Amino acid sequence: MDSVLRVEGLEKTYGEVKAVQGLSFEVAPGEVLGLVGPNGAGKTSTLRCMAGILPPSSGRVHVAGHDLTQAPVDAKRALAFLPDEPRFFEYLTVWEHLNFTARLYGVEDWEERGRALLEEMELSGKEKSLPGELSRGMKQKLSIACGFLHSPKLILLDEPLTGLDPIGIRRMKASLRRRAEEGAALVLSSHLLPLVEELCHRLLVIAGGKAVALGSLEDIRARLSGVEGEHASLEELFVRITSAGAQPP
Amino acid sequence: MSFPRAVAFLWVASWLNRIRRQLARLRKPRYLLGALVGAAYFYSVFFRRMDFRGPVGGASEGLRLFAELSLIGSALGALFAAWVLGRDRPSLTFSETEVVQLFPAPVSRRALLQYKLVRGLLGTTVGALFATLFLGRAISPHPVLFFAGACLALGTLYLHSTAAAFVRTRLTARGTWGLVIRWGGVTAVLGLVAFAVLSSLQAHPVPENLTSGRALRVWLQSLMASPGVGAVLWPGRLLVAPALAQSVREFLAALPPVLVLMGAHYVWVLLAEVPFEETAVVRAESRSRERLLRASGRMARVGSMTLSKPPFRLLARGRPEVAILWKNLIARKRMGGGFAVFLVFIVLGGAIAALMGDARLFTDTRRVLGPVALVLAVTLTVVGPSAFRMDLRMDLPKLDLLRALPLTGRQVVRAQLAASGLAVATFQLTLLAVALVLGPGVEAPRLGGWWWPGGLALAFLLPAVSLAGLFVQNAAVVLFPAWVPADTGERARGLEAMGQRLLALVGTLVVTLVGLIPASLVALLVGIPLSPFLGPWSLPVAGLAAAGVLVGEVALGVIGLGHAFERLDLSEDRPE
Repeated sequence: MDSVLRVEGLEKTYGEVKAVQGLSFEVAPGEVLGLVGPNGAGKTSTLRCMAGILPPSSGRVHVAGHDLTQAPVDAKRALAFLPDEPRFFEYLTVWEHLNFTARLYGVEDWEERGRALLEEMELSGKEKSLPGELSRGMKQKLSIACGFLHSPKLILLDEPLTGLDPIGIRRMKASLRRRAEEGAALVLSSHLLPLVEELCHRLLVIAGGKAVALGSLEDIRARLSGVEGEHASLEELFVRITSAGAQPP
Repeated sequence: MSFPRAVAFLWVASWLNRIRRQLARLRKPRYLLGALVGAAYFYSVFFRRMDFRGPVGGASEGLRLFAELSLIGSALGALFAAWVLGRDRPSLTFSETEVVQLFPAPVSRRALLQYKLVRGLLGTTVGALFATLFLGRAISPHPVLFFAGACLALGTLYLHSTAAAFVRTRLTARGTWGLVIRWGGVTAVLGLVAFAVLSSLQAHPVPENLTSGRALRVWLQSLMASPGVGAVLWPGRLLVAPALAQSVREFLAALPPVLVLMGAHYVWVLLAEVPFEETAVVRAESRSRERLLRASGRMARVGSMTLSKPPFRLLARGRPEVAILWKNLIARKRMGGGFAVFLVFIVLGGAIAALMGDARLFTDTRRVLGPVALVLAVTLTVVGPSAFRMDLRMDLPKLDLLRALPLTGRQVVRAQLAASGLAVATFQLTLLAVALVLGPGVEAPRLGGWWWPGGLALAFLLPAVSLAGLFVQNAAVVLFPAWVPADTGERARGLEAMGQRLLALVGTLVVTLVGLIPASLVALLVGIPLSPFLGPWSLPVAGLAAAGVLVGEVALGVIGLGHAFERLDLSEDRPE
């Protein structure tokens, strides 16, 4: 099956700093890829390059068959980016944010979908609220509702559970799982390793801007030789891989 | 380390770090150039006018009277505000950092209060410095004495408003009786003031023929010398006397009562102290929210955003960039700004005309309203692009959000410009319509047949010139983000930032004027040959041609700016 996301040799530099170096990977429809790595590893830069927010220094990103550099509008129509810190227009209400998104993506049945999403995100009754009147968790839910409105083929999530309460977390996990089952490809960056372990089919571990491991948890375990590797938790694997990745060559 | 020493360390270290950072920035040419321009401006505007060699002669009597009345009025106004306006709660404001760092620290409430008072008094000292720079030289031959006097006056007023807020909080806590005591006291004082002023006015009625400034001054001086008004003005006079002193001897004579008054106010604040932590936390959070809101739009008014209806219904089908236009028009409606500026224009214009004693304002509206509306429409052409900012200047701090939208750079730039352009054009055309319909019209001897053709030409030209101005200002934030920062709510401070702003202002003005040259040439090339045939009606044709050239220039510019927007990478200085 064709991949929804194909990244080839992605690099991003900020002046002298190489934040992302030669990343290449693919994500298939229905697949959830976990992006993990220590602070400053380049996860957010990678996600922002894949969302078309930052221009890559080199390399290619294809979303649903569209080159993000050559056909950015078509590529962006197929994706949703949910940042760790939701950003809104403070003067638009919750409902108006959905209306705005609907026009941008041409979602004709947006009112029906919007109501269902608000219900799913427990935001019913908040339609006329301004973002400034919402709690941190509610803002996160609104960001997710806006992102899901146009049924994107690729969903990029940066710490999606920040600010959510335990019930919200459970609902969000179910919601993400359902989107994947419906055929969307998900790239999920998080420091919450149990969440990554629970939701993701494959992992991409980044350290120092480079991919240090890519594959399913079992693949990565198998790559680590010895008895220790076979039974290691994701947390232990993470520490071992990133510590090794951080070593100077 | 004791709390006062810790605070002193904090302030000194913060100040040194700021200076160090600013000096480090000067290594970059753009900041160095900005600093040089800023320093030159500061010197030419303020210091060149100040003479520290000693007295060179006092201000005129009229100016002194005006200054004295203004300062006394401001002082009495501050006293009135302290007791009547605002909410009944402690007026001390702490930043969120101060709340988080100092409130849980092992520090008594009294120490926190002292800290805030010192901080407030430092703030009033800065205020006094600016007052000296702006007014001191005009009012007093001794800027240093004026500064010292202003420090004492502003400091005493600060202490008074702090103590008044404490007393109001205490009275409110007492319930109805507290309110009766407060408002009874305020009413009694206001009643006495009204009685004193009225009785003085009876003794010194307004002269029927106030034809000259001198007559007005003489009457005012006699009124101020009367016992009633003299008693009302006494507290204010006492407070501003050191600042207005014309000699060292006068200053020293005026100093002791103010020092005693300030000391008494300090003791009053300590005695009246009430718990202020809860209010401080609420205010710190509210200020933080306010800052966030301002970051999304310079004119945002927190807490007063009314959910007015969107300007039109946004359908899901159609050109996607219309969503940005819709959003920005909502921003204009909900965050005011433009309309408020427009109202200020009207009110100020009327007030100035009334102050100048132009009675025609009330008797011959056709001769006044029309020209006023016309002047406002033309003024809006210059001021509008700076006042109406519902465009990239407002949205660029949310670049991440804009860049993730499925729109080309050209679509984003076009839609962003459209909102501000439409808003300015609407005001301009309304004002022009008012000017044309209510103005003197064709009956005016010198205007005659030029009235309507000229108006129509302006209707084409003014919105196009404003659009060009808007384009230049939007282009500046995209092309030179380091020089022309978007509206983040937090303005960069320092001499170099001021210099950069000045250079950017001059740059945008020059570019706008250069952009007008082709349009002017086309207008001349079209208008002159047509004038023998069309007479005055060649004007709107030339205006239309010039407007077409300007719109064409902007359209070409939008293409280029769209590409620049797509390449814009604000993250260059901000690694993850």
